[in-house]
Amino acid sequence: MKAGLWKRCLGELEAELSEQQLNTWLRPLQAVEDGACLRLLAPNRFVRDWVSEHFAQRISEVARAAAGSPDLSVTVSVGTRESRATPETRETSAKPAAAAPARAAENSARRWRAEGPTHKSGSGLRTDFTFESFVEGKCNQLARAASLQVAQNPGGSYNPLFIYGGVGLGKTHLMHAIGNLLVRDRPQARVSYLHSEWFVTDMVKALQHNAISDFKRHYRSLDTLLIDDIQFFVGKERSQEEFFHTFNALLEEQQQVVLTCDRYPKEVEGLEERLKSRFGWGLTVALEPPDTETRVAILMRKAQSSGITLPEDVAFFIAKRIRSNVRELEGSLRRVLANAQFTGHPVTVEFAKESLKDLLALQDKLVTMENIQKTVAEFYKVKVSDLLSKRRSRSVARPRQVAMALSKELTSHSLPEIGQAFGDRDHTTVLHACKKVAELRGQDASMAEDYTILVRTLST
Amino acid sequence: MAERPFSPPPGPGATGGPVRREAGDPSPAVQLWLPIGLRSAPSFANFVPGANTEALHWVELLARGEGPEALYLWGGPGVGKTHLLEAACREAAGRGEPVACVPLAGPERLEPALLGGLESAALVCVDDLQAVAGGAAWEEALFHLMNALRATGGRLLLTGRAPVGALGLALPDLASRVGAALVLHLAPLSDGERAEALRVRARERGFLLPDDVVDYLLRRFPRDLPTLVGLLDRLDEGSLAARRRVTLALVRELLDGA
Repeated sequence: MKAGLWKRCLGELEAELSEQQLNTWLRPLQAVEDGACLRLLAPNRFVRDWVSEHFAQRISEVARAAAGSPDLSVTVSVGTRESRATPETRETSAKPAAAAPARAAENSARRWRAEGPTHKSGSGLRTDFTFESFVEGKCNQLARAASLQVAQNPGGSYNPLFIYGGVGLGKTHLMHAIGNLLVRDRPQARVSYLHSEWFVTDMVKALQHNAISDFKRHYRSLDTLLIDDIQFFVGKERSQEEFFHTFNALLEEQQQVVLTCDRYPKEVEGLEERLKSRFGWGLTVALEPPDTETRVAILMRKAQSSGITLPEDVAFFIAKRIRSNVRELEGSLRRVLANAQFTGHPVTVEFAKESLKDLLALQDKLVTMENIQKTVAEFYKVKVSDLLSKRRSRSVARPRQVAMALSKELTSHSLPEIGQAFGDRDHTTVLHACKKVAELRGQDASMAEDYTILVRTLST
Repeated sequence: MAERPFSPPPGPGATGGPVRREAGDPSPAVQLWLPIGLRSAPSFANFVPGANTEALHWVELLARGEGPEALYLWGGPGVGKTHLLEAACREAAGRGEPVACVPLAGPERLEPALLGGLESAALVCVDDLQAVAGGAAWEEALFHLMNALRATGGRLLLTGRAPVGALGLALPDLASRVGAALVLHLAPLSDGERAEALRVRARERGFLLPDDVVDYLLRRFPRDLPTLVGLLDRLDEGSLAARRRVTLALVRELLDGA
């Protein structure tokens, strides 16, 4: 079989399907072509089922034609090319013969061992999250000090270390920093970072494959376990129970456990009491939102790490406006720096203000014709009903024309729709109004200014 | 059996080339196989940027894997969010990369399970975030997808109708991650740029759009691009069917009373 069969099939199908169908259902598929078989791998069961139901026949037709082989078999299953197929495939389609269930289970467990835990190769640590790159301030001093202690003396006094605080305050950063320092000082240490959701996913897979004892052995053999966002254990009882046992086993062996959560452990509803109580055995530290000085320092550090020197007044400008959390702060900085990179403009306060205009505005104000009529009427001190009336006196006709021109500029209504909204007028009247207003703005400075003020009032 | 084989055995249609079904085909499959091959696919080249040149720039970089890891594009209906998203998918797919797109406001009934495993794609696009804002299962699935993408290094392109703070996301973890992406606003085109966009689309379909026709369209109909491009499709089909050039007279015949 020639290489690139699936690519050629996609080329054919591109002419027949909408972009949306292609992007949602066909382009996520990865193809493995072997011999007389084209195996399509879907990222999940939902895609697999959808493709089987809606596109199977046509794909087969196209593939057989493209391969010039009417016997080509085309299959779709869940998996990725790298790991061949994930356990999910086997879960739905592996139906071991009744005679050999034990062997099937054993194979399955072996597969879990080979592949699981799924979500990471190695420790799962992000190398950019270190103590060096963590900006210290009053808001996080204690949490940082405790984390450093733990990294230097794992399994010692603070076990477990429980870090809590709102989103985007640096919980995950500190956790990775602990892991990175630990691994640097103790290259042999088995450190694993994972989000609580991944723990749940792993456990579910292990259960499906009768590999729960492997699962237990894996997690209990770690020297340090870092589990992020344990609030996602809420409502998952079986996972909580399994985690409880893992947790106890690690603590008994004096292995270090670090946990993060978005709130104080006792306040997490839907978490078992015995878990909450255990979490409090070690040290619980909070992360608070950063103060202005810390926010400035974070911005300067971030810019520096992207190779850009951020003027201090710009850092202050951003820090004063974005107060909630560090992640939002980074988002704002990213916006400003991207804009500067694109335009080649130096980063000044004025420039930052302009770059963040959209971000700072809570919403693209939805401009409606009703709103325009109301605003224009107020501005010219006439009544909305006058604008909609048949009256033609200058004092009413001019504001009406302005309102029509604004409706054309600021909404995407059709001219007939605009005419209708202004007392059922013809679309040619609207067109005339737009021309008239444009002409007046060119001749009359005060008219031009009025118009600009109105546009600004309406759209910001 | 390890895999699910496709049902149809090799049959009459199996050896022929692509069969475009005619409109009258009673086959239930007809809905899925509309003759849309005639239409031009959204690309970076046929995007008329207007005030959105910067957004275009970053989306192009993202699609090539050179720019930011995550982008959030927001703006009102018809400003080109989906166009850019589809252009990005086409660009990445054209280089043989697996891409995945989740149209949250599309006509199909989707479930959060659709997001599972998408992090294996090089580029993941999620269109119309506002459609699932406030839905706990979707938001959590999106949050996990964003975390998983950080681990795999896959890129993410999100779109929505409002800035992050006004989207109505209930899960703060998700809102904060979306907000940390490069956030770009798409502004609507002016009438002149809309006219240009229409001419570009018409050229791709192989016909010239006379100025008086452009004026007529902009005067008589809602001026958002999806509506205007929809009209263009009707003109295209109508002129092909009537074997006449697109003139104001033909346009009036086809669209008056529309």
